[in-house]
Amino acid sequence: MELLLTKRFSIPDAFRIEVYRETGGYRSLQKALQMRPEEVIEEVKKANLRGRGGAGFPAGVKWSFLPKEKKMPVYLCVNADEGEPGTFKDRYIMLKDPHLLIEGIVISSYAIGASKAFIYVRGEFLDCIDTLERAVKEAHREGIIGEKVMGSSFSLDIAIHRGAGAYICGEETALIESLEGKKGRPRLKPPFPAQKGLYQCPTIVNNVETIACVPYIVERGGEWFANLGTEKNGGTKLYAVSGHVKRPGVYELPMGTALREIIYEHAGGIIDDLRLKAVIPGGSSSPVLTPDEIDVKMDFDSLARIGSMLGSGAVIVISEKACMVKTLYVLARFYAHESCGQCTPCRNGTSWMEKIIKRVEDGKGRKEDIDLLLDICDNIKGKTVCPLGDAAVMPVESFIKKFREEFEAHIAFKGCTVSYEREGVLNV
Amino acid sequence: MKISFRNDVLKEAQRIISLYPRKESSLLPLLHIAQREFGYISDEVEAYIAELLQIPPIHVREVVSFYTMFRKRPLGKYHIQVCRNISCSLLGSDGLIDYLKKQLGIDEGETTSDGLFTLSTVECLGSCGTAPVIQINDVYYENMSREKLERLLEELRRGG
Amino acid sequence: MYKITIDGKELQAEPGSTILQVAIKAGIDIPHFCWHPALSISGNCRMCVVEVEKMPKLQTACSTLVSDGMVVYTNTDKVVKARRGVLEFMLINHPLDCPVCDQAGECKLQDYYLIYGKYESRFREEKLKKRKVVDLGANVILDTERCILCTRCVRFFNEITKTNELGIFNRGDHSEIDTYPGKKLESIYSGNIVDICPVGALTSKDFRFKCRVWFLERTPSICTLCSRGCNIEIHHRQGRIYRIKPRVNMHVNQFWICDEGRYGYKFVNAENRILKPVVKGSSGLVPVEWEVGVIDVFMNLSAIISKYGSGSIAVVASPYLTNEDAYVLMKFAREVINTENFGYLPARRGSYDDFLLRAEKAPNERGLLNMGWKTWGDGAELLREKINNRMIRALYVTGGEGFLSQVKDVSDLLSILDYKVFHMSNREGEVDSINAILPSATFAEKDGTFTNFEGRVQRINRAFGPVGESLPDWKIIKRISMMFGKLFPYEKAEDIFKEISEKVTSYKGIDYLAIGDEGVLTDGI
Repeated sequence: MELLLTKRFSIPDAFRIEVYRETGGYRSLQKALQMRPEEVIEEVKKANLRGRGGAGFPAGVKWSFLPKEKKMPVYLCVNADEGEPGTFKDRYIMLKDPHLLIEGIVISSYAIGASKAFIYVRGEFLDCIDTLERAVKEAHREGIIGEKVMGSSFSLDIAIHRGAGAYICGEETALIESLEGKKGRPRLKPPFPAQKGLYQCPTIVNNVETIACVPYIVERGGEWFANLGTEKNGGTKLYAVSGHVKRPGVYELPMGTALREIIYEHAGGIIDDLRLKAVIPGGSSSPVLTPDEIDVKMDFDSLARIGSMLGSGAVIVISEKACMVKTLYVLARFYAHESCGQCTPCRNGTSWMEKIIKRVEDGKGRKEDIDLLLDICDNIKGKTVCPLGDAAVMPVESFIKKFREEFEAHIAFKGCTVSYEREGVLNV
Repeated sequence: MKISFRNDVLKEAQRIISLYPRKESSLLPLLHIAQREFGYISDEVEAYIAELLQIPPIHVREVVSFYTMFRKRPLGKYHIQVCRNISCSLLGSDGLIDYLKKQLGIDEGETTSDGLFTLSTVECLGSCGTAPVIQINDVYYENMSREKLERLLEELRRGG
Repeated sequence: MYKITIDGKELQAEPGSTILQVAIKAGIDIPHFCWHPALSISGNCRMCVVEVEKMPKLQTACSTLVSDGMVVYTNTDKVVKARRGVLEFMLINHPLDCPVCDQAGECKLQDYYLIYGKYESRFREEKLKKRKVVDLGANVILDTERCILCTRCVRFFNEITKTNELGIFNRGDHSEIDTYPGKKLESIYSGNIVDICPVGALTSKDFRFKCRVWFLERTPSICTLCSRGCNIEIHHRQGRIYRIKPRVNMHVNQFWICDEGRYGYKFVNAENRILKPVVKGSSGLVPVEWEVGVIDVFMNLSAIISKYGSGSIAVVASPYLTNEDAYVLMKFAREVINTENFGYLPARRGSYDDFLLRAEKAPNERGLLNMGWKTWGDGAELLREKINNRMIRALYVTGGEGFLSQVKDVSDLLSILDYKVFHMSNREGEVDSINAILPSATFAEKDGTFTNFEGRVQRINRAFGPVGESLPDWKIIKRISMMFGKLFPYEKAEDIFKEISEKVTSYKGIDYLAIGDEGVLTDGI
């Protein structure tokens, strides 16, 4: 398969604009500037490019929600707040091929009529920020951003914004709040950002990987891109594989590649050839799968059909050596830690779940705890301001549903029955 | 004590402010700069940044308390942050945390008495493919093991 | 207009309004904590969820706009379970200290629990410890363990006073309300956050542990501390005021009152209330029966009239008088004493702002003007001149406390006079040279009307009393006048107002009993 987003990962110094141009960079932009903005949007729609941040919403459709009348400035915010546990794909795009992202930003901004774009990078990614800063400077110097992009009448500024440690800022309205200099507390929706976003102006928030696809769509057409994947799931996808696999890493594969293939062929299978116990297919909030479910195609719709989700495409592989109670505790602790504290069910529900699971993990669980957890899930699910509530619930529900006996054993035997070592599998 | 940026830093701050259509948008970046310059965000720093951006100090404080990267207290010379989230946990971060606690003789959130190390656990650092990961000050250390950690600590003790 | 259906009831709904607004208008109760009509929509408590046809998820009624043909259910099993869930979450870390909580009895958490809750607690973990009894200043105490983080108080300071005095610090379930460290609340509207706090997180220092709210009687009234005429409710029990709460009047004070008004009621039950008429004898001021006091005043005034003529008596009205008091006092001056020397002492001037607080620190200066009163000058200069010229030999003063505190060198001035009679409610200031003090009832102890600075006539109502043997000013005047052979036929304030509405042009046609919660706007001065 031809690599797109990772094509330059193996080229030395690809982060430099000269190398980027030598390898075909910024030609799509040139092409896009010859098109009308609506034509670009049309190609993106045809491409079936679905949001790579997790929600999987078609990018072209999102763009077309912008008000037709341009009374206020339009903003593009690139979501580089990569924080969904298990996810580490955007980091590599920013580090290895920053100009691909910039080219995507310029084209997308042109398409939606934005003259200001922000890249919201998670605060810990200082290396990405440095690389992007440098790339933006280069692009400026070469007239790719700034006044009159490549001699056209279109102008664009890009600012890189550093976050400061809050998972919730990956939620688009929290990101906008944070970009406005506030706490990252998600807004009530509607209104959606396309109507009222940054500074109450129409705003599009897209993930790094999503935007990085745009130059290829413009270059070769939406139809071509759509055909790379499965039905309604266009393009290639960066699958970030971590956990108990021999070769963790980011793999660019056609959208809809089977999970089994990703784990056993690309990532080399399970370390020490242990038995597979569970896979979280799309970042920590996607419902966990059992080994008999891994023939699923890794696209938004196929995973949805079996009750999980593609999310960010981050595959977390869990071997027989791991304790599911402990693993769930790690996730529950995370969501409680990251709840912004705004709405009642998430604020109190996530920390309550964390405490119960910790108690079960510590061997002090009670029989009724399992059903209590499920009922707390029910009281959170769909009842919060933003998706963090659902994100916190999905692992709990799915872990209990699929590994209930492990939880019951924890309670019955007052502790772990899996030969799990505190050292972790690597050090066994 | 009234605190303020040096001239060159002030220039840097003003450049950042100018990137945004609205001043207050630069709050997070400015707090990062302040933390770099002053080590942590004291009450004086909060007041200074509030003045710089003409926003209420209470607003700055809310923000400082919301984001985990901003610190209200000075830290040790090396801030060791161990990722404790899923991929790192599956690959042994708990063991690393135990090891560090023992080696440094401190608990999470504490600083060694010589002021050299502060130990924290953090949530996902977004580098799960190279788990377990720790961050020391601004730098990631990936694929960590006890042996690597041992050598790293020794290096840092010798002065980095 | 849209047509929407809530619980089977077909309703007309203004486009752009929310489900909650429409429901409230229709008298359908949708429980909520964080929503407040005067504040921005936050949608954080999640209590107001309802089921809307064709929407898979429950919707918050506070933030969901109505659409034409929308069908809403507020009480399905799904909704009730969600509400129970929210209550359970709120109570996880909430102390079970209702027996010692001032909010008990008017606590939304308690109320809703009784409707939707009532379950065995399933929470087996340790409750989160947070700060209790935090003195926020400005009479407000914060208990962060009771707080449900609805942010009403935060939004109040951000949006209403724009003073940004409270924030939410930290995140998740560690979130806490507080002021900026080392800072106390400074806004003179701070007391309002106690009112809008739906639980017992914010309590009033002044009211803490004083009385269980269900023992309190509530009487609608008008604040007397400035000319805004904020609508209030007097909360009282057995002749004692326990607190003042704002009453909604969108034309006057919306939902709010200032702290001056809120805590400025203490004089009503103060130790220094004058309980009986007091007349000066050889051994100083002595309490007497009303009959004795009235005869004494009558004899002395008569003596002045016969010695110097009736014009030598000056009558002083106070801006604390009701319209009814002021009207009868005017008649007293003109028809009973027969003097043209009558006027009012203007209200004390003080601090003001562009929100509620007015500079004129009395409720009814405008009413005095409407009743035909002219000013004696800000420091009663015109009166002083006439006293100094010996044109005036005796004074008949209402609102005596104001006169004593506002008139410069008042003792010297009074010493020139042959005779002074004062209506006073509290024994304050240099009273020794006064010949007779007649105890007047305060605003809490009488009926009547005030006219605020913009001409809005509003009613006050007797909450209790009057304290001791005090009487409304008009009743005192009625008794004195009787001695002069003038019989005022008024039995109650309403009778006087009826006459006012016939005689005073700008009050023409106003029916006392029909003056509703919004008051009646008049235009003339």
